[in-house]
Order: sequence, then structure tokens, then C-alpha cells
Amino acid sequence: MNNQGRRRFIEQEIVKCSRCGTCRSICPVFLAENNENTTARSKNRLMEAVLEDDIELTPGVQKRFEKCLLCKACKAHCGSGVATDKVIMEGRAAAVERNGLSPMKKLAFTGLRYRKLFDLGLRTGALFQSLIFKKLPEGRGRVPRILLPGAGLNQRRIIPDMTANPLRVRLPKFIKARTAAGKGRVLFFTGCMLNYMYPESGEAVVGILTENGWDVVIPEKQCCCGTPAFTSGDVETGRFLAEQNIKAIRAEDYDHIVTACASCGAALKYEYEHVLGDSPLLKTWQGISTHVFDISQFVLRHCDLTKLGNLPIRVTYHDPCHLVRGMNVSAEPREILKAIPGLEFMEMKDASRCCGAGGSFSAVYYELSRKINDKKLDNIEDTGMDYLVTGCSSCRMHITDGLTQRKSAVEVLHTAEVIQMAYEAGRKEGKHVNS
Amino acid sequence: MLTAEVIQELSAVVGAKHVMDSAEDLIIYSNDATMFHSRPEAVVQPGNRDEVVQIVKIAGRHNLPVTCRGAGTCLSGGPIPLKGGIVLEMTRMNRILKVDAVNKVAVVEPGVITFSLASAANQVGLLYPPDPSSMKESTLGGNISECAGGPKGVKYGITRNFVLGVEAVLADGTIVKTGNEVDGDMAGPDWTMLFTGSEGTLGVIVSITLRLVPIPPVKKTLMAVYDRLEDAAKTVSVTMASGIIPTTLEIMDNLSIVSVENYLKIGLPVQAGGLLLIEVDGVQSTVEEDADHVSEICKKCGASEVKMAQNAAEAEELWLARRSINPAFGQVAPCKFAEDATVPRSLVPVLVGRVLEVQKKYDVPIFICGHAGDGNMHPTIMFDKRNKDQKERAEKALHDVHIITLELGGTLSGEHGIGFAKAPYLRAETGEIGYKLGQEIKRSVDPHGLLNPGKIFFYEGVLH
Repeated sequence: MNNQGRRRFIEQEIVKCSRCGTCRSICPVFLAENNENTTARSKNRLMEAVLEDDIELTPGVQKRFEKCLLCKACKAHCGSGVATDKVIMEGRAAAVERNGLSPMKKLAFTGLRYRKLFDLGLRTGALFQSLIFKKLPEGRGRVPRILLPGAGLNQRRIIPDMTANPLRVRLPKFIKARTAAGKGRVLFFTGCMLNYMYPESGEAVVGILTENGWDVVIPEKQCCCGTPAFTSGDVETGRFLAEQNIKAIRAEDYDHIVTACASCGAALKYEYEHVLGDSPLLKTWQGISTHVFDISQFVLRHCDLTKLGNLPIRVTYHDPCHLVRGMNVSAEPREILKAIPGLEFMEMKDASRCCGAGGSFSAVYYELSRKINDKKLDNIEDTGMDYLVTGCSSCRMHITDGLTQRKSAVEVLHTAEVIQMAYEAGRKEGKHVNS
Repeated sequence: MLTAEVIQELSAVVGAKHVMDSAEDLIIYSNDATMFHSRPEAVVQPGNRDEVVQIVKIAGRHNLPVTCRGAGTCLSGGPIPLKGGIVLEMTRMNRILKVDAVNKVAVVEPGVITFSLASAANQVGLLYPPDPSSMKESTLGGNISECAGGPKGVKYGITRNFVLGVEAVLADGTIVKTGNEVDGDMAGPDWTMLFTGSEGTLGVIVSITLRLVPIPPVKKTLMAVYDRLEDAAKTVSVTMASGIIPTTLEIMDNLSIVSVENYLKIGLPVQAGGLLLIEVDGVQSTVEEDADHVSEICKKCGASEVKMAQNAAEAEELWLARRSINPAFGQVAPCKFAEDATVPRSLVPVLVGRVLEVQKKYDVPIFICGHAGDGNMHPTIMFDKRNKDQKERAEKALHDVHIITLELGGTLSGEHGIGFAKAPYLRAETGEIGYKLGQEIKRSVDPHGLLNPGKIFFYEGVLH
């Protein structure tokens, strides 16, 4: 979209905002802060004032646009369907154009553009992380030993171990189905979190797919999906990364594309449309997007649920924003969990309310994101279940951080890991797929 | 002018964190749920009654207007600071001080969200009936100040019928307590009622005593479909005349039905001219009887179909259409004048007919829906404010709707308040003497016009 197109789009959205205030009852940031300037309607109002030249795009305006998790709850509940998430992203983009990115983000996003350098950086980082981070018992993760300014890593925050042996190094580019009767080929877009922080979740995804007769291809040249960049207003980097990924995907042969990260999935399936704007690759993306499925969607449609074995664990489920509102996925993971024999499932209160992670939001506003997270933790603990299952590594990291600080016994698993565990159990019970 | 010195004084009272004066925040606090705006000079968030007293005194010393605000969901411009000065945001004062199940009374601070009180009452088996559509966001202080209503108004009445007493800070910083926790208070004129609906022009409400009622054990929900909207309207007056008082009597016109159906695709009768959503509550025996009786009346008045919900899920389905009118508005045009023209219930059919004429005359879409049971209709005029011609036609239609309502002996506001959006027409409703008396009352409690100036009786534009 060019500048004029962007302006028209924003105007179209904010003119619909009737300022009714419905966003007050559902915005997690507002509920934590109780300040009108965090509501969706206020951001629309500010944007209107900017367009009317009532106020310049000041750092003050920019700061208010930043204070949003992009959880999309306002849009989902809005009587007039105002896409405030998009308005905010446009606001951030315009603010970045005028005021620039914060030095920390600038460095980080520049790093993202250089796939190999980024990879090397994170892997080297993994080797040296013990110098900076203190390891916690039971493989729970690490706590920063020193204060890293600007990274939101204060002394309390717990982040998972970064692996020196990422998913895409552990696995070959092409993995054959376990069974002879190959059903087709699935392209697995791993994303960064699964690659560097939770490779076990990625291995579970591959395990599920191959178990069910699918060949898996993991394109080497895939890079960060771009969500951190384009949601921060760095449109240029966002588009650059989107185009890289589209090219990497286009180069492969596949029947379906599977993601196991809510943000990657939402980006690949929907958000790229906005990010690509007038890019010549827009048409190619349109062809790709229809093939994108979250792993839970894929399992429900294309995998054999009768082969799931007995898994006697007690779980509750958290809806990641980018799954429930970004990809319209919420029934699927629940249906699968309920299909696992022996598994006890209990719904928590407000399962679809944001956990407060919001990508770089939790880095910039760590205390606030903890406060939002506390509500989620209460709801998790109120169920009395032993495991929290979710489909987003960012939520997982943030919730694990909170649970650990609380010394809670609840553990967090990716939906794919639970499914894989049930297939393993099934194998032991002799429920071999296609056997 | 609000100087740095005043900001310092205010900060000393509530803490710097609760005083906002940046341009960004002043823009944000310049409006409510109407299309108008006017910037304050500072926003202050008091945490308790004593802070309110001190803020009002500071404002008085510096001759600064004080405009109260709850959640800012007002539809008449009530919390817009027309004369600048201080916006007093009351949402930090949000404690439910007491829910007394024996005496059926609740005491709350003004910033309590309506839904929170309704839930707290519910937990002890009681009902707080006023249920404005904004109840999940709006505050009780705002509800009392604007005298909000809601679908249950037919049977239970509007907010006014549930306010037993208030505690308010007057313009000079003194505190007045009106009413008490007794239902049958008859100690002179009803001072409490003076504050109810006064839109923050007489005092800053800092505590509210509310009446609660027992939860009726059963309810029954019906939907009646009509070929002609006028027949639906007629059903309203016939039902009310029959002696049955439903809890809810909501009306929807064809435009509303079609828009909701386009939006939800739930199989609503898009050919219908109108429909009624009716609920009756009470004890089992009477509810069954009333529901049957109402159903008969609907048919007699020309309903082509009457659906009766057999369980809670079916009732919820019937309600879905009504609840989705607001989102559906957006499918027709982005902007709206959400009116609450209210007439005696027997004249609902006449009002409906005349609004249909207005629609034709100015060629603007007008949704006719609302709480028909208590005559509180919501003719909602749709337009796009970017289209100048369309906006002008919408404004003319709005004018006509106000005049028609008054001609029918109705009121400008059934629940949204006067603020300044409807203030130009107020004299036409109260008459010359009534209008003057209103001014006198205000002057006697707020001689310097400190509290929410420019509103209700002190509107400075053209009067009708």
C-alpha cells in the first residue's frame, strides 16, 4: 500500500469507531492500568487527531501506540468491527518513519535481515549464555545474572535455555514419512522460537507428521516471519522478511504448509497481505496462504486420531491471541485434547484472554506484562490441572516465567508435544498408524 | 488558565501519576461516545471523597470548571468539558462498599462498573435491574448522573427508581448526604432525585445507595414477527393496556432485521416489517400464563409468527438478534446519531409512523429499535460524517425527530441524558418557567457555575 492508500485505510477504520467504550471491558492493558489512554477507542481518537493535524506524531503519541499487545480482543468485540490492531500498526509505522526505531529494536531487526548472521549470533549466544544467565533447576530455564538494559531482561525474568543445537540443525531438510504409504509432502515453517528455544516442540511436529504418513520438508532459507518487525512499525524489514520467506516457500514442492507458532501462522496466512502492500510477490503469497495450517488444524483434518494412545495427564488450555483471533483456531486443539484417551481436560476462565506476552511488549513493559500475566496464572491454577497446554512459544515462555516465579507446580507444554506423547503411547499400545 | 502551579497543587492531592496534562491525554479525554469534543486542561483521578473535596476547592480558588466523568460511554456529551478546566475521572473510586441482602440495599462508590454490582448482587440472590447496553463498561456514577435505562425498564423502571441516596461534594467543597437506606423515605422533597440525572452539574457524587430486588425465579422469552412495523408497535400498547407488564419489550424494524441478518446469517425473517422481543418474569404459574396471554395479543395484533423459547439456549438465540443491532449498524454507515426519543407507550405506533416519514423526507437510513415497552425508542440515524450533504440531512432528520417526540408529549431523553447534544431543545420540553426554575436551582447550589458548565439549563447556543 502506498502512503495515500494507507491513509485511506486508516480513515476508513477510525470513522467507524463510535467511541462507545466496549473496548474498556476487554482490553487486557486497560484492565491492568485503568487508564483511558490505553483503550482502543483512545488510540483511534489519537490517530484521528494526527490525521486532522490536531497534534503531531509526537513521541507521546508513539508511546501510546506502543502500549498495546496487539491481542486483537478489541477488534473481536468491537460493535463496529474497527480493525484497531491495524490502525495501531499503521500508527507505529508512521511514528517509526518520523521518529525512528529505538536503538535496541533497530539493532535487533537489522540482525533479523541477515539470516546467516542472525543464526550464527543466536547459536554463539547459546554457547556463552551461561556467562550471562543463571541456570534454574529441573531445566526450567535461566534467569539473567546481570541486568541487560533495554532487553527487558531484569533479574527476575526467566527465559528458556537457548540451544546450541537448533531444530533446523538437528533435522535434515527432508524427512521421509515413517510409513511406506506416503500421503504427500508438508512444508514445515519452524519460526525462530521453535528453532532456537523450543526445538522439542518442533521435533514433536515432525514426529506427528511422519507418524501419519506425511513427508516433511523444512526449507533452509526460511527466516524470521517478520512479526516482531512489522508489529513494531518497521515495515521495511517486515516486508523484506516476508518476501524472503515467500521465495523460500515458493522454491519447494509441498501439498500443505504447517506452522506451530501462532504468530508465524497468522503472519503467513493473513498478516502478510497488509505487510506486502504493493509488493510484486503479493500474488505468489495469495497462492501460498491458502495452504497454511496450524498444526492443530492439520492434525484434526489430516491425521489419524484413533491412533492416539492413553495419556493420563490433567490439562487446561490457553488460547494464544494469534491463534484464536489471528488464525481463528480455538476449537481444534480442544477437540484433539479431548480425543486423547485418559487425558483430563478442564477449561479455565477467560482462556482466550491475552497472557501479556505480546512479543517485544513484554520486553518494554515487563512489569505491566507480568501484571496481565498474573490474571492468567490465577485462572490456570484455579483449574487445579497439572499442565498448561498452548500453541505459542511466546505465551509459553511468558507463562513459564510467571509460574516459575510463583513456584507453581504447573508445567507448560506445546499442543504438538502432547499430541506426540499420545502418539508415542499409541505406538506402545500397538496402535501403529497404517500398520 | 490552568497553570503549572495548579498542576502542582492537584498533584499534591492525588499524586503526580493521577494528574494528566499532556496534549495527548487532553485529546483522549476530550470526548465521550458522541461525535463532539472539547479539550480539558487537565485530567485528575481522585482516589477518595476527601481528595474530591480538595480538588473542587482548588478548582474554586482558581475559577476552573470541573467536569465529572465515569467510563465516558455517555451519548449526550455529558462528560465533555465544554469550558475546559478539569476533568474529574472517577473510575479509581470503584469499591462496592456494601451489599446488604437483608435490607436489599447496596452502597457503592461512583466508579463501580454496573456489571460488577449486578454480579455482586446476583451472588446473594438479588437483582440490580437497570441494564444499559453499556453495563459492562459504564460506571454507576455515570448511570445515576445520566439516569440510564435498559431493556428491563418496562417492568422495573430506570436507574432513577433504584437510587435511595447519594453523597455528593458541592461546588464549595462541602458534602451533602441525601436519602438513606430506607425505601419509604418521605422527609420532604426528594433531594436524591435532584442529583439523579443532574449530569454532574449540581455536585460530584462520591457514594451511592441503591435499592436491590429479589431475582425472579423464572422467565420466558418470546419473539413475534410482523409484516408491518406498525402492528408490532400496536402490540406494545395493547399488551401494556392488558395489565401484563413484561420485563422486556424490544422492537426492531425491517432495516434492523435485514442488517442483523446480513451480519449474523441466523435465519431472521428478512421480509418482516418488524419484530418484538418479549420477556416476562416472575413465578412459574404467572409467567406461563402471561407468556401465553402475550402470545395471543401478538397474534391478534397481526403477528405472522410467535416463537417461544423452550429453554435458556433458545432464549439466548432470540436475544442474539437484538444484541447484534449495534454491530449491524456498521454495515449500513459508519456514523450514527443514537437517539432515545421517548413517548407515552400508547403513542409508540404514532412515533414509529412519523419517524418512517422523516426517513423518507431526508432520504437517510433510520433504524427503529429500542425499549418500546416504556416508550423509549431508539431511532438511530445513519450517515457518514465525511459526506457533508449526508451529514446535513442526518442533522435535519435528528431535529425533526426531537420535535416530533415533543409534539407527542414525550421527552428528549429516555436514558441518554441532555448534556449539550439535546440541550437546544430542552426549553421546548420544560417550558419557559420550567427552564428558568432549572437555572435557579443550579445557581443556588453552584453560584459560580463551576460544575459541568454549558450543559442542560446553561447551554449557550440557540434554544428552541
